[in-house]
Amino acid sequence: MAVAPAEPRVGSAGQFGTARSTLLIDRCMTWFITIGGLGVIIAVLGIFVFILSQILPLFQGASIQPLRTVSTGISDAKVLGVDEWTALPMIVNEDGVLSFVDLEGERGTFQADPAFQESRIFSAYVYDQQAQRVVFATTQGEFALVDVNYEPVYDGGTRTIVAHPEAGAFVALGQPGVPIAQVAYGDSGAQKLVAVLQDVDGAPQVHAALLEQKQTLLGTGKTVLKATYDLTPLLSGTPQMIGVTPQTANSVVVATTVGQVFYFYFEAGEDVDEVVLRQVFTPFQDLGQSAIASMDFVFGGVSLLFTNTEGASRVFSLFVPPDGDTRLFGQTKTLPPLPGAATFYAPSLRNKAFLIGTPSWLGLRYSTTASTRLEMDLSYDVSLARLSGKYDRVLALDTGGDLHVYRLSDPHPEAGMAALFGKVWYEGGQAPAYTWQSTGATDDFEPKLSMMPLIFGTLKGTFYAMMFAVPLALLAAMYTSQFLHSNLRTIVKPTMEIMASLPSVILGFLAALWLAPILETRVVSFVLIVMLVPAVALLMGYVWSSMPGTVTNRWVKPGYEFLAVFPLLALAAYGAWLLGPVVERWVFVVTDAATGERVADFRLWWVQIAGLSFEQRNSLVVGFIMGFAVIPIIFTIAEDALSNVPPELKAGSLALGASRWQTAMRIVLPTASAGIFSAMMIGLGRAVGETMIVLMATGNTPIVDWNIFSGMRTLSANIAVELPEAPQFGTLYRTLFLGAMLLFLMTFLINTLAELLRQHLREKYKTV
Amino acid sequence: MRWRESSKPRSGLSGEPMVWITAMGLTVGLVMVVSLLGLILINGVTAFWPKRVVYLELASESPARLAGAPILAGEVVKRQHKTAPAASQRQQVEWQLFVGNKESYGLSFRYVDIDDIVAQRYPEQAMSIERLEYGDAIGEPLALRIQGEDEWPSDSPGFADRLEHLVREVAARRREIKRLEHSAIGAINARMTQLRLQRRTLEREDAPSGAAAYLAIEDAMAPLQARYENLAAEARELRRLQDENQLVYRIPSGDEVILPLGQIVGYYFPNQLGFWNRLGLFAHNMWAFLSQEPREANTEGGVFPAIFGTFVMTVLMSMAVTPFGVLAAMYLREYAKQGVIVRTVRIAVNNLAGVPSIVFGVFGIGFFVYFVGGSIDELFFHDALPTPTFGTGGMIWASLTLALMTVPVVIVATEEALTAVPRGMREGSLACGASKWQTMQRIVLPASAPGILTGLILAMARGAGEVAPLMLVGVVKLAPTLPVDSVFPFIHLDRKFMHLGFHIFDLGFQSPDSEAAKPMVFATTLLLIALVMALNVGAIWIRDRLRRKYATGVF
Repeated sequence: MAVAPAEPRVGSAGQFGTARSTLLIDRCMTWFITIGGLGVIIAVLGIFVFILSQILPLFQGASIQPLRTVSTGISDAKVLGVDEWTALPMIVNEDGVLSFVDLEGERGTFQADPAFQESRIFSAYVYDQQAQRVVFATTQGEFALVDVNYEPVYDGGTRTIVAHPEAGAFVALGQPGVPIAQVAYGDSGAQKLVAVLQDVDGAPQVHAALLEQKQTLLGTGKTVLKATYDLTPLLSGTPQMIGVTPQTANSVVVATTVGQVFYFYFEAGEDVDEVVLRQVFTPFQDLGQSAIASMDFVFGGVSLLFTNTEGASRVFSLFVPPDGDTRLFGQTKTLPPLPGAATFYAPSLRNKAFLIGTPSWLGLRYSTTASTRLEMDLSYDVSLARLSGKYDRVLALDTGGDLHVYRLSDPHPEAGMAALFGKVWYEGGQAPAYTWQSTGATDDFEPKLSMMPLIFGTLKGTFYAMMFAVPLALLAAMYTSQFLHSNLRTIVKPTMEIMASLPSVILGFLAALWLAPILETRVVSFVLIVMLVPAVALLMGYVWSSMPGTVTNRWVKPGYEFLAVFPLLALAAYGAWLLGPVVERWVFVVTDAATGERVADFRLWWVQIAGLSFEQRNSLVVGFIMGFAVIPIIFTIAEDALSNVPPELKAGSLALGASRWQTAMRIVLPTASAGIFSAMMIGLGRAVGETMIVLMATGNTPIVDWNIFSGMRTLSANIAVELPEAPQFGTLYRTLFLGAMLLFLMTFLINTLAELLRQHLREKYKTV
Repeated sequence: MRWRESSKPRSGLSGEPMVWITAMGLTVGLVMVVSLLGLILINGVTAFWPKRVVYLELASESPARLAGAPILAGEVVKRQHKTAPAASQRQQVEWQLFVGNKESYGLSFRYVDIDDIVAQRYPEQAMSIERLEYGDAIGEPLALRIQGEDEWPSDSPGFADRLEHLVREVAARRREIKRLEHSAIGAINARMTQLRLQRRTLEREDAPSGAAAYLAIEDAMAPLQARYENLAAEARELRRLQDENQLVYRIPSGDEVILPLGQIVGYYFPNQLGFWNRLGLFAHNMWAFLSQEPREANTEGGVFPAIFGTFVMTVLMSMAVTPFGVLAAMYLREYAKQGVIVRTVRIAVNNLAGVPSIVFGVFGIGFFVYFVGGSIDELFFHDALPTPTFGTGGMIWASLTLALMTVPVVIVATEEALTAVPRGMREGSLACGASKWQTMQRIVLPASAPGILTGLILAMARGAGEVAPLMLVGVVKLAPTLPVDSVFPFIHLDRKFMHLGFHIFDLGFQSPDSEAAKPMVFATTLLLIALVMALNVGAIWIRDRLRRKYATGVF
């Protein structure tokens, strides 16, 4: 076939140019991929930023903003009260006149009459914010309870708070006709306790009265006087201050002029309650100035805050001392000193925070963590202050009668570095401790959010898993890379890698429902297996290698040892399994405390001899099963590192007459050490973050002990357990985010370190 | 061979025994993998295998007797050595029996000391009945009571055929009831909920009562209500028919039990079956497990909703993860200027693959559910508040969370695949005058597609097996509806769903009778392992093919 000679083409500019659409598309795609790729990377790394943004509020202090100042004209106020909406604060002046200040509407400051049954001259007052009640004490040795009765009234869409103050009958207490100098009040709902201090001819006396409110079907009934007590004979010294436990209403504390505190407890008797002097202590005994300037209860009625005239402030809490059986006061905290003697105090009704101050200085403190949430110097002198029930407003009444209203923003007072990572002495505890207990049954329960038990649990689980996984994985990797016949390697490696893909929920389920019940009764067998199997392998090695090569090479070719060793190991394991109960019967015999019989049971033996607990779902089970998750990771990476050692090195070593073990140990292992270390690090990272296995195979108790037969609670399991129930933006919610952040940082740092090591290794080989 | 022998150093020096220790390491590792898989395989498969029912005559003093009855019957589940509590006692063998008839006995399993067994037999008449409630029943049939007919004693000639016919009829009716209640009534309910929401919108906008809009809603409601009543009545009638006929049988302890046929899911005579019959029943059981919905707190029935949920979630996750992963990898490998920053970013992205999955779950609940979902609710579903629509865990958030978790896997795999494309191919394309994008589109991406696919499959395997983050973002133990159904808009991304992995967790740890649930857990475990392994093996296969392709196809 003839082909016409091609005509020489003349190149034109257009012929070699690129179509504009192509260029346009190319540019568009470049932009698209750049923006899209960067976007994805930023979004992925944004996880860190988002989680960080969620936990930052935990470490922030309180902030306060002035809202408004209302002039009330009451300059001799004795009581400042507030309703739960902070709409209608209440002021009682020196003469017992009750006034309300309208902060929401147009009513201004107005007086209200509680309608006392008789007219009296009042000499002392005390306010109970929780019960919304004021106790009025008279110059005649009487007192009356006045209920404030706040109530919201809805008219269309607007809400108005109204109050109908209502006075109860006068009750005589103490010396008749003598003015009451101080009154204290506690209310537990059914029981009310009133204590008074009277100055009888220069000798102060303390009296107390128990009142009972009957609960009827229609609600609360009448309050009746149960009994009165004269505490004076039980006291020594001159009483100066009195207090009653606010929420429990079962104790009276009396401070004397020399700084001694008397703690009286009202023990429930059959007819009348008996008063017992439980304790006498001196809060500032070690200081030069032991006299007490103020004594107030923190919310919950368990902790007492004392300050002296120099501003030193200490918290004493009720707890059962190690050698006692009743709760006594003991110093649990020293708070930062005040600039001077405290003149006003107001507790929060939500948490352990309180307001305290000298007239021109105001501080918001948190008792549990002994921390200062807020401090400010004021341009006026405060006579009384109050925290709103919702812990969102601060009211301060100055000596000129102006009421200053502030907005308080302190969403997480119980958090902070000290509470999350330090030892905290919680109320009722005998010593400072790391505690995690996020929820409780009672209203005044205080969440205990220490991360330390969780971090400890994470490390404990990781430790036991690594103890098991690292030796096995490294031995297997060593054998596979150095000694295994190359034909088998293509089968062995994927088989081990399959293990890596097992969902951890499956491992967890097997650990908890299959392995744990078996292991519970077979601990001894398990320990024997762990000891016997390597011993048998070693013995086998000695016997085998001392035989002449003609024998050994006929039966087992080098590179096939692991198959030869299998039946022997299986036998050893089975033998150990059977031997376990025998050894148990022989060694681990103890007397069962319940029945008095001699029984052979390792579980009882462990509890009695070691003094530690034994749980079915314990660290041994977790360590073993978590090994399944960690071994393939370490194995794969370590095997790669060992295999990648340049063959020249090995060849050189072998040529010089070293045995294959010597080559492996002295040449290959050191060269690949960085890679092996990085394999261990990545395995560690996996074990740290493992969730389902620990969630299912441990009891999830946040304890701090290394006992192998007890469980733990890890950071990850803690999140899985608690986050679904945690209210959004609450302290618990943010604390769980903090746990996630810790996990993130731990694994990220570990993995980065491993990755850098690996890269370093790669560089090293390049030069070889 | 002589030289080899003579050159062999003494064992202590050569360290030959230590080689055996390393061999032990590998052996133990392999044994662990194989025995674990074997354990799950055996337990998972035997869960479907019909076992014979044994009737045991017990010694009079045996503590295993149920309410003093001399006969104990059931399927032998386990034979084991009793662990001796006291040092003196010798080991004894005990059997664990599945006794069924939970409503009569109050328990499902019983341990029997073999010394207490006087006699054992396998009666031909023993019948195993799978019921809607209270698990299986074991007993001997006595009679059929059919409405309007005489009693059919079990030894009458047509008994077996009649029973089979009736049970089939009952099953057909059950399907019909389900169709009525789920599809037909479900559709009406969805429409009515919509109308109610419309009314709430009107109320919120302060529309005057009696306005035309209200009337329109009322008009639309009325026929729906009527249709609903009709369907409900129809379903009620069918339910009544279900309980019309009864089967009378005697349970091993001697009591007679009357069971409405509507309760029967299936029945068989375990002691009459030959091997092939058993195999047939085994296949049937397995199919039922795969295709049915769970019953009785998930301990009975099948796992179809969990399979479906896992599937839909994995598909959605893949759809989200592929474009983003590939885009990011393309940028990192092909478009970004290689330098310290890109290297750092690459390490960071790689390491995200090692960040615990629960951390992604925490991010998912904080960002997707509360922040994004909450905002969507505020904007588009304001009328339904405070009931959250998207502001709670759901299919879409679970998929996105897992997509985020697996994005590093896809990025790493894609980058590797892109790197593996030979330089010559690119240069050839560029030399022919193709633009960068054209080279990417026509040459590089097709060549790296198998690698990208491998990464995707690995991501799917990881996603399908992950449970911890899902527990936070939308998985539930029992979802009343599937995420995809026939009600508009067909794919319900806001719905909660069931998942195989969570099913295992729930069955094993939150079911009232974990012993009875064990066969189900093992079966589900087997299914999940099979799924994950199939994905992994697929990925390995593709990888190998890819390698071979490039081994031969070098330019």
